[in-house]
Amino acid sequence: MKKIEDLNFYELLEVSPAASAQDIHKAYERVRRIYDPNSIALYSLFTADETAAIHRRIEDAYRTLIYEDNRRKYDAKLRERDEMPEMPDIPDIPASSPSKAYEPASARTLPPLPEAKPFIDEAEPQYAPPPPEKPQSEEIATVSQFIGEFTGPAIKALREQLGISQRTVANQTKVGLRYLDYIEAEEFRKLPARPYLRGFIMLYAKALGCDAERMAGDYMKRYDAAMAAKT
Amino acid sequence: MIELQDALRKKEIWAIGGGKGGIGKSLITGNIGIHLARLKKNVLLVDADLGGANLHTTLGIGVPETTLSDFLNRRVENIQDVIIKTSIPNLSLISGAQDFLDAANPNFAQKTRLLRHLETLDADYILLDLGAGTSFNILDFFLFSDHGILVVLPEPTAIENAYRFIKSAFYRRFKKVVANQNIKDVIDAAMDQKNAMGIRTPFDLIERVKSMEQEVGEILELEVLKFRPKLVVNQVRTKNDIQIGFSMKSACQKYFGINLEYLGYVEYDDCVWQSIRSKRPLAIEYPYSRPSRCIERIVHNLLRKEQLTLSMLY
Repeated sequence: MKKIEDLNFYELLEVSPAASAQDIHKAYERVRRIYDPNSIALYSLFTADETAAIHRRIEDAYRTLIYEDNRRKYDAKLRERDEMPEMPDIPDIPASSPSKAYEPASARTLPPLPEAKPFIDEAEPQYAPPPPEKPQSEEIATVSQFIGEFTGPAIKALREQLGISQRTVANQTKVGLRYLDYIEAEEFRKLPARPYLRGFIMLYAKALGCDAERMAGDYMKRYDAAMAAKT
Repeated sequence: MIELQDALRKKEIWAIGGGKGGIGKSLITGNIGIHLARLKKNVLLVDADLGGANLHTTLGIGVPETTLSDFLNRRVENIQDVIIKTSIPNLSLISGAQDFLDAANPNFAQKTRLLRHLETLDADYILLDLGAGTSFNILDFFLFSDHGILVVLPEPTAIENAYRFIKSAFYRRFKKVVANQNIKDVIDAAMDQKNAMGIRTPFDLIERVKSMEQEVGEILELEVLKFRPKLVVNQVRTKNDIQIGFSMKSACQKYFGINLEYLGYVEYDDCVWQSIRSKRPLAIEYPYSRPSRCIERIVHNLLRKEQLTLSMLY
Protein backbone atom coordinates (compact mmCIF):
# COMPACT_ATOMS: atom_id res chain seq x y z
CA MET A 1 0.00 0.00 0.00
CA LYS A 2 1.55 3.24 -1.13
CA LYS A 3 0.71 6.89 -1.18
CA ILE A 4 0.44 8.58 -4.53
CA GLU A 5 3.69 10.41 -3.94
CA ASP A 6 5.47 7.11 -3.37
CA LEU A 7 4.20 5.34 -6.48
CA ASN A 8 6.84 4.77 -9.07
CA PHE A 9 6.18 5.99 -12.58
CA TYR A 10 4.95 2.63 -13.79
CA GLU A 11 2.49 2.33 -10.94
CA LEU A 12 1.37 5.88 -11.50
CA LEU A 13 0.57 5.24 -15.15
CA GLU A 14 -0.84 1.80 -14.29
CA VAL A 15 1.36 -0.06 -16.74
CA SER A 16 3.69 -2.97 -16.21
CA PRO A 17 7.42 -2.29 -16.29
CA ALA A 18 7.48 -4.36 -19.46
CA ALA A 19 5.06 -2.09 -21.30
CA SER A 20 5.96 -0.93 -24.78
CA ALA A 21 6.35 2.73 -25.65
CA GLN A 22 2.98 2.64 -27.33
CA ASP A 23 1.31 1.19 -24.23
CA ILE A 24 2.89 3.91 -22.16
CA HIS A 25 1.63 6.54 -24.52
CA LYS A 26 -1.90 5.14 -24.35
CA ALA A 27 -1.79 4.79 -20.58
CA TYR A 28 -0.56 8.35 -20.28
CA GLU A 29 -3.46 9.68 -22.34
CA ARG A 30 -5.87 7.68 -20.23
CA VAL A 31 -4.47 8.57 -16.83
CA ARG A 32 -4.14 12.20 -17.81
CA ARG A 33 -7.81 12.26 -18.66
CA ILE A 34 -8.72 10.64 -15.33
CA TYR A 35 -6.79 13.21 -13.32
CA ASP A 36 -7.95 16.14 -15.37
CA PRO A 37 -9.06 18.94 -13.04
CA ASN A 38 -12.53 18.74 -14.57
CA SER A 39 -12.87 14.97 -14.28
CA ILE A 40 -16.01 14.25 -12.32
CA ALA A 41 -14.72 10.87 -11.21
CA LEU A 42 -12.42 12.71 -8.80
CA TYR A 43 -15.12 14.94 -7.49
CA SER A 44 -14.81 15.51 -3.74
CA LEU A 45 -11.82 13.18 -3.47
CA PHE A 46 -8.88 15.42 -4.28
CA THR A 47 -8.42 19.13 -3.83
CA ALA A 48 -7.46 21.30 -6.79
CA ASP A 49 -3.88 21.51 -5.54
CA GLU A 50 -3.63 17.76 -5.21
CA THR A 51 -4.97 17.20 -8.69
CA ALA A 52 -2.46 19.67 -10.06
CA ALA A 53 0.36 17.87 -8.23
CA ILE A 54 -0.77 14.51 -9.58
CA HIS A 55 -0.96 15.99 -13.03
CA ARG A 56 2.58 17.24 -12.82
CA ARG A 57 3.80 13.83 -11.71
CA ILE A 58 1.98 12.15 -14.58
CA GLU A 59 3.72 14.48 -17.03
CA ASP A 60 7.07 13.69 -15.41
CA ALA A 61 6.35 9.98 -15.59
CA TYR A 62 5.44 10.16 -19.24
CA ARG A 63 8.47 12.19 -20.20
CA THR A 64 10.74 9.84 -18.36
CA LEU A 65 9.32 6.61 -19.69
CA ILE A 66 8.67 7.58 -23.28
CA TYR A 67 12.32 8.32 -24.08
CA GLU A 68 14.41 5.23 -24.22
CA ASP A 69 17.50 6.78 -22.68
CA ASN A 70 15.64 8.28 -19.77
CA ARG A 71 13.67 5.14 -19.24
CA ARG A 72 16.75 2.97 -19.10
CA LYS A 73 18.25 5.24 -16.49
CA TYR A 74 15.05 5.31 -14.51
CA ASP A 75 14.77 1.51 -14.64
CA ALA A 76 18.28 1.23 -13.31
CA LYS A 77 17.37 3.56 -10.48
CA LEU A 78 14.32 1.45 -9.64
CA ARG A 79 16.39 -1.71 -9.65
CA GLU A 80 18.75 -0.11 -7.19
CA ARG A 81 15.82 0.51 -4.90
CA ASP A 82 14.59 -3.05 -5.52
CA GLU A 83 11.30 -1.81 -6.85
CA MET A 84 11.55 -3.55 -10.15
CA PRO A 85 12.21 -7.19 -10.90
CA GLU A 86 15.37 -7.81 -12.87
CA MET A 87 14.34 -8.46 -16.41
CA PRO A 88 16.06 -11.07 -18.56
CA ASP A 89 16.87 -9.04 -21.67
CA ILE A 90 15.00 -5.85 -22.37
CA PRO A 91 11.64 -7.36 -23.28
CA ASP A 92 10.16 -3.95 -22.53
CA ILE A 93 10.63 -2.79 -26.07
CA PRO A 94 8.78 -4.47 -28.91
CA ALA A 95 10.82 -6.48 -31.35
CA SER A 96 10.15 -4.09 -34.19
CA SER A 97 11.65 -1.22 -32.29
CA PRO A 98 14.93 0.20 -33.49
CA SER A 99 16.50 -0.28 -30.10
CA LYS A 100 17.45 -3.77 -31.19
CA ALA A 101 20.23 -2.16 -33.08
CA TYR A 102 21.70 -0.93 -29.82
CA GLU A 103 22.37 -4.44 -28.63
CA PRO A 104 25.99 -5.44 -28.71
CA ALA A 105 26.80 -7.28 -31.89
CA SER A 106 27.68 -10.43 -29.99
CA ALA A 107 24.15 -10.69 -28.64
CA ARG A 108 22.69 -10.89 -32.10
CA THR A 109 22.33 -14.33 -33.57
CA LEU A 110 22.24 -13.11 -37.16
CA PRO A 111 25.09 -14.38 -39.29
CA PRO A 112 27.35 -11.64 -40.64
CA LEU A 113 26.02 -10.22 -43.88
CA PRO A 114 27.96 -11.05 -47.02
CA GLU A 115 30.02 -8.18 -48.31
CA ALA A 116 28.48 -7.52 -51.67
CA LYS A 117 24.84 -6.70 -51.46
CA PRO A 118 24.41 -3.51 -53.34
CA PHE A 119 20.63 -3.24 -52.98
CA ILE A 120 20.93 -3.10 -49.21
CA ASP A 121 23.31 -0.18 -49.43
CA GLU A 122 20.88 1.79 -51.48
CA ALA A 123 17.85 0.92 -49.43
CA GLU A 124 17.09 2.74 -46.24
CA PRO A 125 18.99 1.20 -43.37
CA GLN A 126 16.78 -1.30 -41.61
CA TYR A 127 17.77 0.02 -38.24
CA ALA A 128 18.93 3.41 -37.22
CA PRO A 129 22.63 3.49 -36.50
CA PRO A 130 23.47 3.55 -32.80
CA PRO A 131 23.32 7.09 -31.52
CA PRO A 132 26.66 8.68 -30.73
CA GLU A 133 27.58 8.56 -27.09
CA LYS A 134 26.80 11.92 -25.66
CA PRO A 135 28.08 13.24 -22.41
CA GLN A 136 25.04 12.88 -20.21
CA SER A 137 24.47 14.05 -16.72
CA GLU A 138 23.51 11.41 -14.18
CA GLU A 139 20.20 13.06 -13.53
CA ILE A 140 17.27 12.10 -15.66
CA ALA A 141 16.79 14.76 -18.27
CA THR A 142 13.33 16.17 -18.56
CA VAL A 143 12.07 18.20 -21.45
CA SER A 144 13.26 21.70 -20.96
CA GLN A 145 10.60 24.19 -21.75
CA PHE A 146 11.48 25.21 -25.27
CA ILE A 147 11.15 28.94 -25.68
CA GLY A 148 11.82 30.38 -29.11
CA GLU A 149 10.24 29.57 -32.42
CA PHE A 150 9.74 26.01 -33.63
CA THR A 151 11.56 26.09 -36.94
CA GLY A 152 12.55 22.93 -38.75
CA PRO A 153 16.16 23.02 -37.57
CA ALA A 154 15.00 23.91 -34.04
CA ILE A 155 12.76 20.84 -33.97
CA LYS A 156 15.63 18.72 -35.16
CA ALA A 157 17.94 20.14 -32.54
CA LEU A 158 15.32 19.55 -29.86
CA ARG A 159 14.86 15.97 -30.98
CA GLU A 160 18.58 15.31 -30.93
CA GLN A 161 18.90 16.95 -27.56
CA LEU A 162 16.34 14.48 -26.25
CA GLY A 163 18.25 11.61 -27.79
CA ILE A 164 15.38 10.31 -29.89
CA SER A 165 16.05 8.91 -33.33
CA GLN A 166 13.95 9.84 -36.32
CA ARG A 167 12.95 6.23 -36.57
CA THR A 168 11.51 6.24 -33.06
CA VAL A 169 9.46 9.28 -33.95
CA ALA A 170 8.35 7.59 -37.15
CA ASN A 171 7.34 4.44 -35.27
CA GLN A 172 5.35 6.38 -32.76
CA THR A 173 3.70 8.90 -35.05
CA LYS A 174 3.42 6.69 -38.13
CA VAL A 175 4.70 9.63 -40.14
CA GLY A 176 7.15 8.47 -42.79
CA LEU A 177 10.87 9.02 -42.29
CA ARG A 178 11.09 10.97 -45.50
CA TYR A 179 8.49 13.46 -44.34
CA LEU A 180 10.22 13.84 -41.01
CA ASP A 181 13.35 14.74 -42.95
CA TYR A 182 11.47 17.27 -45.04
CA ILE A 183 9.87 18.76 -41.94
CA GLU A 184 13.21 19.21 -40.27
CA ALA A 185 14.80 20.59 -43.44
CA GLU A 186 11.78 22.82 -44.07
CA GLU A 187 11.39 21.57 -47.60
CA PHE A 188 7.86 22.86 -47.72
CA ARG A 189 7.36 22.09 -51.40
CA LYS A 190 7.80 18.40 -50.86
CA LEU A 191 5.49 18.19 -47.89
CA PRO A 192 1.84 17.18 -48.22
CA ALA A 193 -1.05 19.63 -48.23
CA ARG A 194 -1.44 22.03 -45.37
CA PRO A 195 -4.02 20.19 -43.21
CA TYR A 196 -2.07 16.91 -43.40
CA LEU A 197 1.15 18.66 -42.57
CA ARG A 198 -0.44 20.28 -39.55
CA GLY A 199 -1.51 16.85 -38.35
CA PHE A 200 2.05 15.58 -38.79
CA ILE A 201 3.45 18.44 -36.77
CA MET A 202 0.96 17.89 -33.98
CA LEU A 203 1.94 14.22 -33.79
CA TYR A 204 5.60 15.09 -33.91
CA ALA A 205 5.16 17.60 -31.10
CA LYS A 206 3.42 15.01 -28.93
CA ALA A 207 6.21 12.54 -29.58
CA LEU A 208 8.69 15.12 -28.33
CA GLY A 209 6.47 16.06 -25.41
CA CYS A 210 6.12 19.65 -26.58
CA ASP A 211 3.09 21.86 -26.68
CA ALA A 212 1.49 20.58 -29.88
CA GLU A 213 -0.63 23.65 -30.55
CA ARG A 214 2.29 26.01 -30.19
CA MET A 215 4.64 23.95 -32.31
CA ALA A 216 2.09 23.49 -35.07
CA GLY A 217 1.21 27.18 -34.93
CA ASP A 218 4.83 28.29 -35.26
CA TYR A 219 5.64 25.82 -37.97
CA MET A 220 2.55 26.54 -40.04
CA LYS A 221 3.28 30.26 -39.87
CA ARG A 222 6.66 29.61 -41.45
CA TYR A 223 5.07 27.27 -43.94
CA ASP A 224 2.48 29.86 -44.98
CA ALA A 225 5.10 32.58 -45.31
CA ALA A 226 7.34 30.40 -47.45
CA MET A 227 4.53 29.23 -49.67
CA ALA A 228 3.19 32.76 -50.15
CA ALA A 229 6.63 34.06 -51.05
CA LYS A 230 7.18 31.45 -53.74
CA THR A 231 3.86 31.74 -55.54
CA MET B 1 -18.43 -28.68 -14.16
CA ILE B 2 -21.99 -27.89 -13.18
CA GLU B 3 -21.98 -30.68 -10.62
CA LEU B 4 -18.80 -29.31 -9.18
CA GLN B 5 -20.35 -25.90 -8.82
CA ASP B 6 -23.37 -27.40 -7.15
CA ALA B 7 -21.18 -29.30 -4.76
CA LEU B 8 -19.32 -26.17 -3.85
CA ARG B 9 -22.50 -24.20 -3.61
CA LYS B 10 -22.50 -21.86 -0.73
CA LYS B 11 -25.00 -19.21 0.08
CA GLU B 12 -23.83 -15.78 -0.95
CA ILE B 13 -25.13 -12.49 0.31
CA TRP B 14 -24.88 -9.50 -1.99
CA ALA B 15 -25.68 -6.00 -0.80
CA ILE B 16 -26.52 -3.19 -3.19
CA GLY B 17 -25.95 0.32 -1.91
CA GLY B 18 -24.58 3.60 -3.10
CA GLY B 19 -25.08 6.53 -0.80
CA LYS B 20 -27.36 8.64 -2.94
CA GLY B 21 -31.07 8.06 -3.36
CA GLY B 22 -32.83 7.55 -6.66
CA ILE B 23 -29.89 6.04 -8.49
CA GLY B 24 -31.54 2.74 -9.30
CA LYS B 25 -30.48 0.51 -6.42
CA SER B 26 -33.87 -1.18 -6.12
CA LEU B 27 -34.25 -1.52 -9.85
CA ILE B 28 -30.86 -3.12 -10.23
CA THR B 29 -31.39 -5.39 -7.22
CA GLY B 30 -34.75 -6.58 -8.51
CA ASN B 31 -33.49 -7.27 -11.99
CA ILE B 32 -30.30 -8.96 -10.87
CA GLY B 33 -32.60 -11.19 -8.82
CA ILE B 34 -34.75 -12.02 -11.82
CA HIS B 35 -31.75 -12.84 -13.98
CA LEU B 36 -30.30 -15.06 -11.27
CA ALA B 37 -33.64 -16.82 -10.83
CA ARG B 38 -33.70 -17.49 -14.55
CA LEU B 39 -30.36 -19.24 -14.16
CA LYS B 40 -32.18 -21.64 -11.80
CA LYS B 41 -30.69 -20.13 -8.68
CA ASN B 42 -32.75 -19.89 -5.57
CA VAL B 43 -32.87 -16.17 -4.89
CA LEU B 44 -34.19 -14.20 -1.97
CA LEU B 45 -34.50 -10.44 -2.20
CA VAL B 46 -34.51 -8.53 1.07
CA ASP B 47 -35.65 -4.95 1.09
CA ALA B 48 -33.33 -3.57 3.71
CA ASP B 49 -34.24 -0.02 2.73
CA LEU B 50 -36.04 0.36 6.04
CA GLY B 51 -38.25 3.38 6.03
CA GLY B 52 -38.22 3.80 2.26
CA ALA B 53 -38.93 0.38 0.89
CA ASN B 54 -40.13 -0.04 -2.65
CA LEU B 55 -38.45 -3.14 -3.97
CA HIS B 56 -41.85 -4.81 -4.19
CA THR B 57 -42.97 -2.12 -6.62
CA THR B 58 -40.07 -2.67 -9.00
CA LEU B 59 -41.08 -6.34 -9.01
CA GLY B 60 -44.71 -5.49 -9.63
CA ILE B 61 -46.01 -6.90 -6.39
CA GLY B 62 -48.77 -5.13 -4.52
CA VAL B 63 -48.38 -4.11 -0.91
CA PRO B 64 -47.46 -7.32 0.91
CA GLU B 65 -49.19 -8.45 4.07
CA THR B 66 -46.19 -9.47 6.07
CA THR B 67 -43.06 -7.42 6.05
CA LEU B 68 -39.66 -7.19 7.61
CA SER B 69 -40.90 -4.98 10.42
CA ASP B 70 -43.20 -7.78 11.58
CA PHE B 71 -40.11 -9.83 12.07
CA LEU B 72 -38.10 -7.06 13.66
CA ASN B 73 -40.88 -6.33 16.13
CA ARG B 74 -41.28 -10.02 16.89
CA ARG B 75 -44.86 -10.16 15.71
CA VAL B 76 -43.53 -13.02 13.65
CA GLU B 77 -40.98 -15.28 15.27
CA ASN B 78 -39.63 -17.08 12.26
CA ILE B 79 -38.15 -15.22 9.30
CA GLN B 80 -39.60 -17.89 7.00
CA ASP B 81 -43.05 -16.47 7.68
CA VAL B 82 -42.32 -13.08 6.17
CA ILE B 83 -40.97 -14.49 2.91
CA ILE B 84 -43.33 -13.86 0.01
CA LYS B 85 -43.25 -16.02 -3.11
CA THR B 86 -43.22 -13.96 -6.28
CA SER B 87 -44.72 -14.92 -9.62
CA ILE B 88 -41.23 -15.60 -10.89
CA PRO B 89 -40.01 -19.13 -10.16
CA ASN B 90 -37.10 -19.39 -7.71
CA LEU B 91 -37.51 -15.78 -6.62
CA SER B 92 -38.86 -14.77 -3.24
CA LEU B 93 -38.97 -11.51 -1.37
CA ILE B 94 -38.90 -10.11 2.11
CA SER B 95 -40.51 -6.75 1.78
CA GLY B 96 -39.98 -3.74 3.93
CA ALA B 97 -43.11 -1.99 2.82
CA GLN B 98 -45.49 -0.26 5.19
CA ASP B 99 -43.16 -0.65 8.04
CA PHE B 100 -43.35 0.98 11.40
CA LEU B 101 -42.18 4.52 11.56
CA ASP B 102 -39.34 3.50 13.81
CA ALA B 103 -38.40 0.51 11.70
CA ALA B 104 -35.85 2.67 9.90
CA ASN B 105 -33.70 2.56 13.01
CA PRO B 106 -33.57 -1.00 14.28
CA ASN B 107 -31.49 -1.36 17.40
CA PHE B 108 -28.43 -3.51 17.62
CA ALA B 109 -30.26 -6.57 18.91
CA GLN B 110 -32.83 -6.42 16.13
CA LYS B 111 -30.14 -6.07 13.54
CA THR B 112 -28.06 -9.00 14.76
CA ARG B 113 -31.18 -11.13 15.02
CA LEU B 114 -32.02 -10.35 11.39
CA LEU B 115 -28.50 -11.09 10.19
CA ARG B 116 -28.42 -14.33 12.18
CA HIS B 117 -31.69 -15.50 10.68
CA LEU B 118 -30.60 -14.57 7.18
CA GLU B 119 -27.64 -16.88 7.56
CA THR B 120 -29.89 -19.83 8.30
CA LEU B 121 -32.10 -19.34 5.25
CA ASP B 122 -32.04 -21.83 2.43
CA ALA B 123 -31.21 -19.81 -0.68
CA ASP B 124 -28.37 -19.66 -3.14
CA TYR B 125 -28.27 -15.90 -3.22
CA ILE B 126 -29.62 -13.34 -0.84
CA LEU B 127 -29.70 -9.82 -2.25
CA LEU B 128 -29.97 -6.93 0.17
CA ASP B 129 -31.38 -3.73 -1.23
CA LEU B 130 -29.94 -0.97 0.94
CA GLY B 131 -31.34 2.48 1.41
CA ALA B 132 -29.73 5.81 0.69
CA GLY B 133 -27.36 7.46 3.10
CA THR B 134 -24.45 6.27 5.19
CA SER B 135 -26.16 5.42 8.46
CA PHE B 136 -24.65 2.66 10.58
CA ASN B 137 -27.41 0.21 9.69
CA ILE B 138 -26.79 0.53 6.00
CA LEU B 139 -23.03 0.30 6.44
CA ASP B 140 -23.35 -2.78 8.62
CA PHE B 141 -25.48 -4.59 6.08
CA PHE B 142 -23.00 -3.64 3.39
CA LEU B 143 -20.03 -4.91 5.40
CA PHE B 144 -21.84 -8.06 6.45
CA SER B 145 -22.43 -9.16 2.87
CA ASP B 146 -20.07 -11.28 0.79
CA HIS B 147 -20.16 -8.82 -2.08
CA GLY B 148 -20.93 -5.15 -1.66
CA ILE B 149 -22.12 -3.53 -4.85
CA LEU B 150 -22.07 0.23 -5.23
CA VAL B 151 -24.33 1.95 -7.71
CA VAL B 152 -23.43 5.38 -9.05
CA LEU B 153 -24.69 7.68 -11.75
CA PRO B 154 -22.24 9.59 -13.93
CA GLU B 155 -23.01 12.75 -11.97
CA PRO B 156 -20.92 14.63 -9.42
CA THR B 157 -23.59 14.31 -6.72
CA ALA B 158 -23.82 10.55 -6.97
CA ILE B 159 -20.05 10.14 -7.19
CA GLU B 160 -19.50 12.35 -4.16
CA ASN B 161 -21.92 10.22 -2.17
CA ALA B 162 -20.36 7.02 -3.42
CA TYR B 163 -16.93 8.10 -2.17
CA ARG B 164 -18.47 9.13 1.11
CA PHE B 165 -20.10 5.75 1.34
CA ILE B 166 -16.84 3.94 0.64
CA LYS B 167 -15.02 6.02 3.20
CA SER B 168 -17.66 5.52 5.88
CA ALA B 169 -17.88 1.78 5.26
CA PHE B 170 -14.12 1.57 5.27
CA TYR B 171 -13.67 3.38 8.56
CA ARG B 172 -16.51 1.45 10.16
CA ARG B 173 -14.79 -1.76 9.18
CA PHE B 174 -11.58 -0.45 10.69
CA LYS B 175 -13.33 0.29 13.93
CA LYS B 176 -14.72 -3.23 14.10
CA VAL B 177 -11.32 -4.89 13.95
CA VAL B 178 -9.70 -2.56 16.44
CA ALA B 179 -10.09 -3.18 20.16
CA ASN B 180 -7.99 -0.37 21.56
CA GLN B 181 -10.16 2.58 22.54
CA ASN B 182 -7.47 5.16 21.76
CA ILE B 183 -7.19 3.94 18.19
CA LYS B 184 -10.96 3.90 17.88
CA ASP B 185 -10.95 7.55 18.86
CA VAL B 186 -8.36 8.30 16.19
CA ILE B 187 -10.53 6.59 13.57
CA ASP B 188 -13.54 8.55 14.74
CA ALA B 189 -11.58 11.75 14.48
CA ALA B 190 -10.37 10.82 11.00
CA MET B 191 -13.96 10.58 9.82
CA ASP B 192 -14.07 14.33 10.19
CA GLN B 193 -12.39 15.64 7.06
CA LYS B 194 -11.21 18.78 8.86
CA ASN B 195 -9.73 16.95 11.82
CA ALA B 196 -7.01 18.60 13.84
CA MET B 197 -4.55 15.73 13.42
CA GLY B 198 -4.12 16.33 9.73
CA ILE B 199 -5.41 12.89 8.75
CA ARG B 200 -6.80 13.32 5.28
CA THR B 201 -6.52 10.00 3.52
CA PRO B 202 -6.69 6.41 4.72
CA PHE B 203 -2.92 6.28 4.23
CA ASP B 204 -2.46 9.03 6.79
CA LEU B 205 -4.73 7.17 9.17
CA ILE B 206 -2.88 3.88 8.87
CA GLU B 207 0.44 5.61 9.33
CA ARG B 208 -0.90 7.30 12.41
CA VAL B 209 -2.22 4.02 13.81
CA LYS B 210 1.08 2.35 13.04
CA SER B 211 2.90 4.96 15.03
CA MET B 212 0.64 4.11 17.96
CA GLU B 213 0.67 0.36 17.56
CA GLN B 214 2.56 -1.23 14.71
CA GLU B 215 0.60 -4.49 14.77
CA VAL B 216 -2.81 -2.87 14.60
CA GLY B 217 -1.67 -0.77 11.65
CA GLU B 218 -0.67 -3.92 9.83
CA ILE B 219 -4.04 -5.50 10.54
CA LEU B 220 -5.70 -2.44 9.06
CA GLU B 221 -3.53 -2.73 5.96
CA LEU B 222 -4.77 -6.28 5.54
CA GLU B 223 -8.33 -5.07 5.91
CA VAL B 224 -7.74 -2.60 3.10
CA LEU B 225 -6.78 -5.46 0.82
CA LYS B 226 -9.80 -7.50 1.82
CA PHE B 227 -12.25 -4.68 1.21
CA ARG B 228 -13.20 -5.00 -2.44
CA PRO B 229 -16.46 -3.21 -3.19
CA LYS B 230 -17.90 -3.58 -6.65
CA LEU B 231 -19.09 -0.78 -8.88
CA VAL B 232 -22.01 -0.42 -11.25
CA VAL B 233 -22.48 2.78 -13.25
CA ASN B 234 -26.16 3.31 -13.99
CA GLN B 235 -27.83 5.51 -16.60
CA VAL B 236 -24.87 5.57 -18.93
CA ARG B 237 -25.46 7.74 -21.98
CA THR B 238 -22.05 8.09 -23.64
CA LYS B 239 -18.77 6.27 -23.88
CA ASN B 240 -17.28 8.82 -21.53
CA ASP B 241 -19.84 7.81 -18.93
CA ILE B 242 -18.63 4.23 -19.18
CA GLN B 243 -15.11 5.50 -18.75
CA ILE B 244 -16.06 7.03 -15.40
CA GLY B 245 -16.13 3.56 -13.89
CA PHE B 246 -12.50 3.03 -14.83
CA SER B 247 -11.60 6.47 -13.61
CA MET B 248 -13.23 5.82 -10.23
CA LYS B 249 -11.41 2.53 -10.01
CA SER B 250 -8.10 4.27 -10.56
CA ALA B 251 -8.91 7.12 -8.19
CA CYS B 252 -9.96 4.68 -5.45
CA GLN B 253 -6.77 2.72 -5.86
CA LYS B 254 -4.69 5.85 -5.55
CA TYR B 255 -6.67 7.63 -2.86
CA PHE B 256 -7.99 4.84 -0.63
CA GLY B 257 -5.64 2.09 -1.71
CA ILE B 258 -8.64 -0.17 -2.19
CA ASN B 259 -9.49 -2.28 -5.17
CA LEU B 260 -12.78 -1.22 -6.62
CA GLU B 261 -14.03 -3.81 -9.08
CA TYR B 262 -15.84 -2.39 -12.06
CA LEU B 263 -18.64 -4.87 -12.59
CA GLY B 264 -20.44 -3.16 -15.38
CA TYR B 265 -22.70 -0.36 -16.47
CA VAL B 266 -26.37 -0.02 -17.31
CA GLU B 267 -27.29 2.01 -20.33
CA TYR B 268 -29.86 4.73 -20.11
CA ASP B 269 -33.11 3.97 -21.87
CA ASP B 270 -36.68 5.20 -21.59
CA CYS B 271 -37.89 1.62 -21.37
CA VAL B 272 -36.67 1.56 -17.76
CA TRP B 273 -38.94 4.43 -16.94
CA GLN B 274 -41.81 2.81 -18.83
CA SER B 275 -41.38 -0.47 -17.00
CA ILE B 276 -41.49 1.30 -13.65
CA ARG B 277 -44.57 3.21 -14.73
CA SER B 278 -46.32 0.02 -15.73
CA LYS B 279 -45.12 -1.60 -12.47
CA ARG B 280 -43.68 -4.56 -14.29
CA PRO B 281 -40.05 -5.61 -13.90
CA LEU B 282 -37.71 -4.51 -16.66
CA ALA B 283 -36.28 -7.99 -17.21
CA ILE B 284 -39.78 -9.30 -17.87
CA GLU B 285 -41.35 -6.41 -19.74
CA TYR B 286 -38.33 -5.62 -21.92
CA PRO B 287 -36.00 -8.61 -21.64
CA TYR B 288 -34.08 -7.74 -24.80
CA SER B 289 -33.68 -4.05 -24.10
CA ARG B 290 -30.19 -2.70 -23.71
CA PRO B 291 -30.46 -1.95 -19.97
CA SER B 292 -31.74 -5.45 -19.32
CA ARG B 293 -28.86 -6.91 -21.32
CA CYS B 294 -26.44 -4.78 -19.35
CA ILE B 295 -27.80 -6.11 -16.07
CA GLU B 296 -27.51 -9.63 -17.42
CA ARG B 297 -23.87 -8.98 -18.15
CA ILE B 298 -23.37 -7.69 -14.62
CA VAL B 299 -24.87 -10.90 -13.25
CA HIS B 300 -22.52 -12.96 -15.38
CA ASN B 301 -19.54 -10.92 -14.22
CA LEU B 302 -20.62 -11.44 -10.62
CA LEU B 303 -20.99 -15.17 -11.05
CA ARG B 304 -17.70 -15.56 -12.84
CA LYS B 305 -16.01 -13.15 -10.43
CA GLU B 306 -14.86 -11.05 -13.31
CA GLN B 307 -14.87 -7.35 -13.97
CA LEU B 308 -14.74 -5.02 -16.93
CA THR B 309 -11.34 -4.36 -18.41
CA LEU B 310 -10.27 -1.41 -20.45
CA SER B 311 -9.64 -3.46 -23.54
CA MET B 312 -13.35 -4.20 -23.78
CA LEU B 313 -13.96 -0.55 -24.49
CA TYR B 314 -11.83 -0.22 -27.55
